[in-house]
Amino acid sequence: MELLFGWLEHGALSTWIREDPFAFPALVVMHTIGMGVVVGTAAAIDLRLLGVAPGVPVAAMTRFLPFGWGGFVLNAASGVGLLIAYPTKALTNPVFYLKLTCIFLAAWTLRVIGRGLDGPEPQTRLRRLAMASLALWATGIGAGRLLAYTYRYLLIGFPNHNI
Amino acid sequence: MPPFPSTPDPWELWVRGTWLSDFVLTYGWLWPLGETLHYLGLSMLLGTVGLFDLRVLGVAKAIPVAALHRLIPFGVAGFAVNMLTGITFFSGFPEQYAYNIAFWWKGAFLALAGLNVLLFYSAAFKSVRQLGPGEDASLPAKLMAGTSLFAWIMVLICGRLLTFNRPPFFH
Repeated sequence: MELLFGWLEHGALSTWIREDPFAFPALVVMHTIGMGVVVGTAAAIDLRLLGVAPGVPVAAMTRFLPFGWGGFVLNAASGVGLLIAYPTKALTNPVFYLKLTCIFLAAWTLRVIGRGLDGPEPQTRLRRLAMASLALWATGIGAGRLLAYTYRYLLIGFPNHNI
Repeated sequence: MPPFPSTPDPWELWVRGTWLSDFVLTYGWLWPLGETLHYLGLSMLLGTVGLFDLRVLGVAKAIPVAALHRLIPFGVAGFAVNMLTGITFFSGFPEQYAYNIAFWWKGAFLALAGLNVLLFYSAAFKSVRQLGPGEDASLPAKLMAGTSLFAWIMVLICGRLLTFNRPPFFH
């Protein structure tokens, strides 16, 4: 593992993302915009399913799904970039795996809910998924934010002295 | 933006003397908690106000505007959470924000977003809220919706760039 992380960290792309004055901030900014868009869109759909704004036709909300998935794709791409920059930092931290689990489960709820919006899906099932979706996105965001405080190594050979 | 002084100005000492400043610096876990709430708040704002703006711009026109507007209080709540957490962050390290160019830009786009809200609710909302399924908003209303999306996304971008534009040291 250490060999793999070391090889990644010394790679040209990884070094460039860390050392270029704009690459890392740009990735972080993209990651935050994508987060707001995917979580915001998913949360709005969830709130509608949970009874807020009952006058909104549920089927019409499918039109917002491409924006949500656009945010998700932006975050998957920028997330890979951030991971290439600091592979050891993320992959040696258990909180990172918690975050990824939450995000994948949350994305799965968005897919199932998205398909159920214009289908004859039983409402109680969609409502349960909407509640799970809100909890998973919130936990994912919390875990993501905690990554800055809980990592054990910044890079190979650079332990975090604050924890 | 004023130049970064080597020693704190009186206003900064005053901020540092508040109970809020003391509170946020005493409990280390408050900072990451506040950041998490700040991110949830911005997501709620973007997800409710942003989708409303998209509807005014012509996306998902099958949705009656007044019905979609019922989501807006959640965005307002998100904004309130972000003002409270933001003030808390500022009280902890006032010099890291006041002498940070990203903070001033963020404030400028926040002011633009705020003025746009006032303009929208005073000049366009009365007619926009009547829009039923399939109906198109007027051009001025669409311009305001576009301005809203632009301003809030710029607020987000400048906010995230605070980290990379901090003054060289802490007072």
